[in-house]
Amino acid sequence: MAYVIGKECIDTQDHSCVDVCPVDCIYEGDRKNYINPNECIDCGACEIVCPEVAIFPARKARSDVERQQFVADNAAFFELPLPGLAEPLGDPAGAKLRGHVSADTELVRAWPQE
Amino acid sequence: MSDRALAHRIACDLTVVGAGPAGLFATYYAGFRGLSVTLIDAQPEAGGQVSALYPAKTIHDVAGFPGVSGSDLIAGLLDQASSYDPRILFGRNAVDVVRDDVVSGLTVTLADGTAIDSRAVILATGVGGIRPRTLPLGHGWHGRGVTYLVPDPAAHEDEDVVIVGGGDSALDWALQLQPIARSVTVVHRRRAFRAHAASLTRAASQGVELLTESEIQAIHGDSRIRSVVLRDAQGAEREIPADIVVGALGVVTAPAPFAAWGLEMRDRKVLVDSAMQTNVTGVYAIGDVSTYLGKIALMATGFGEAATAVNNAAVLIDPDLSLFPGHSTDDDAGAPLDATPGQPE
Repeated sequence: MAYVIGKECIDTQDHSCVDVCPVDCIYEGDRKNYINPNECIDCGACEIVCPEVAIFPARKARSDVERQQFVADNAAFFELPLPGLAEPLGDPAGAKLRGHVSADTELVRAWPQE
Repeated sequence: MSDRALAHRIACDLTVVGAGPAGLFATYYAGFRGLSVTLIDAQPEAGGQVSALYPAKTIHDVAGFPGVSGSDLIAGLLDQASSYDPRILFGRNAVDVVRDDVVSGLTVTLADGTAIDSRAVILATGVGGIRPRTLPLGHGWHGRGVTYLVPDPAAHEDEDVVIVGGGDSALDWALQLQPIARSVTVVHRRRAFRAHAASLTRAASQGVELLTESEIQAIHGDSRIRSVVLRDAQGAEREIPADIVVGALGVVTAPAPFAAWGLEMRDRKVLVDSAMQTNVTGVYAIGDVSTYLGKIALMATGFGEAATAVNNAAVLIDPDLSLFPGHSTDDDAGAPLDATPGQPE
C-alpha cells in the first residue's frame, strides 16, 4: 500500500508534501505531483500537510471510482512511458536525484483546466 | 550494564542491528532461545520509523491489537525485548559487518570504533538511518551556528534566531525561543505554513517574524554566523543579523551501504532466503530492509521474519539446538508479566 495524490493537486502543486517526505518519493510532474508506490513507506507525513487535502492512502480509494483512477495513475506515471521521455521513470530512488519531470500522465494532461 | 567507556570489544551470540519493531521482537526471541544479544540502534531511542514518523498514529494491523498507538506498541516491544537482559546500545551507528571464515564469526563495527563479535547478525535496519534534513546552505556552518536541535533554549538569550521550515517543529521552536532571544524569524519557502493555525497566531502576536515564499540566499560570518541574506518570491534580498540558524525541515532516511558490506541486493533491499539469511553466512535480514519473492513490508510480517531468522540463527550458533523453539508458555525462566522495561546504556 502507498499514499496517492488525487486531482486536487492538478495545477496547484503546493509541494509541502515534497518537503516532508522522508524517503523523497514524491516526484514533480508538469501539472501534478505523483507518489512512487514502490518507494513510499506508508508513513502518512504527506497526507496531513497537504493544504489541498489531495493525498489519501490507496486503501481508502476502494469505494471511490475517481480515487481508484488516481491510484492507477500514480503507478502509471512511473511504469509507463511519458511523452518526451524515452524510458519509463521506474523507481529512481529519490525525486531530488531525478529532478523535475516535464511531463504528466494521459489522465492528468487531459484534465480540464479550471 | 554501563560499560560504554570500555566497550571497545564486546562478545555475544547474536547482534541485532536496528531497534524498530522487527529488531525489538528479534531481540526478545533470541533471549527466549537462550542467546546473549547485543541490540544496536543509531537513534537514541527504540522504535525506528514508528517513533520517528508516526508515534501518535493508531496502528490496526498488528495481531492481537485492534488498535494500538505507535508509541504504546514500541513501549511494549521494548519491554518484551528487555525480558532477557540484552545489551542495548542506542545512539550508536553500525558502520561495517565483516565475516571471518576461519573462526566462523562476524564482527560488527560501530562508528565509535567499538567491535561486537558474534556468531550471527540480524540486520533490521528498516528504511535506514533517520536524521534531520540538512539545510542546503548549512554545509560548513555546522558547529558555527547552524543546528537541527535546540536542546537548551536558554543558551540563546539575546541572540538573533533564524528558523527554517514551515511545520509544527519550526513554530514550536519559535515559540520557545521568542521570550528568550532578541529576535526570531521563521523562513519558509512555500506559500503557506503547515503548522497549526493556533501556533501561527500566537507566534505572530508574540512578535515572531513569519516569512513565506522566502529562502536563505547566503550565510555570512567568521568563526560564528553573523547574518543571513533572505530572498523573497519577488527576488528582493535583505540581510538580517543571525546568531543561529535552526533547520526544522523534517527527517530523511539513509540506507546503510549494504552492497559495500558484500551483501547481495535486489531493488535496493537485502536479498534473503526462506530462513532470512543473506548471501553471507550468519548474516540475516528482516523487516523493511529485506526482500524475497512475495515480500510484503509490514510490521505483521516483520515479526514472523524475526522469529524465522532467530530460530535459524540459533541452530547456526549452536548446532545442538533444535530449529523449533518450543512454546513460550513453557518457559519458566521467562519474564514475569510485570517485567520492567530495560534502559539503554
